[in-house]
Amino acid sequence: MLVITRKSGEQICLGDDVTITVLDVTGSTVRLGIEAPAEIPIYRGEIWLDVKAENRAAADASIKDLPSIKSRTKPGD
Amino acid sequence: MHVESTRLGTMEVRDDSVLTFADGLPGLPGDRWALIATGEDSPFFWLQSIDYADVAVPVTSPWLFFGDYEVRLSDDEAARLGLSDAGDAYIVCVVRAAEQLDEFTINLVSPLVINAGSRQGRQVINDAGGYSVRHPLFSEVELDAVPPARSAVPVTAAGG
Repeated sequence: MLVITRKSGEQICLGDDVTITVLDVTGSTVRLGIEAPAEIPIYRGEIWLDVKAENRAAADASIKDLPSIKSRTKPGD
Repeated sequence: MHVESTRLGTMEVRDDSVLTFADGLPGLPGDRWALIATGEDSPFFWLQSIDYADVAVPVTSPWLFFGDYEVRLSDDEAARLGLSDAGDAYIVCVVRAAEQLDEFTINLVSPLVINAGSRQGRQVINDAGGYSVRHPLFSEVELDAVPPARSAVPVTAAGG
């Protein structure tokens, strides 16, 4: 991980297309402005980690037979 | 094309049934997937990776379980998918299956949005807030009250 220290008003550039500006630092909260092309989605890190973890857990579940209504089979049957 | 699945056997998936997630599903390998039917009366499909036989997730239409579910996409997300109209989108959510029905959960935070015409999909973050990545699936309806799933894109029958 590259570690950079910035002050309010300073920027970080990722290639030619992405610029992150430190807008404001209040206490332990940093407000960031992000300019990026529309094709690049921008998400809060913890949400994306949650999604990754949930996808992996869904794929790892060892259940092979999913419930259907007619037969009323349930996974434990 | 010939698709192997450790869960579902060997299947022939038509080219027009291939769903492409150009940015993949976070945490899972591959970008080509197919919807596989689990049975006539099931509310679930398997979303099977075409390139990784052991990678598949259960999915369902969230509206079969939650009548009030709302999906809001930013204009940027809609543009990435080439969606000019909400009607062009086919949306499913990933389900975490379990031994007991009351342990099933569904990810309502990041639905899979598929452009039904182009078969391109993305896993997006729902701009409509207040949802959980692990929402109990059967919290509002019971299994017997859930209609079978319908798909807006082609579905392949499970193999032998």
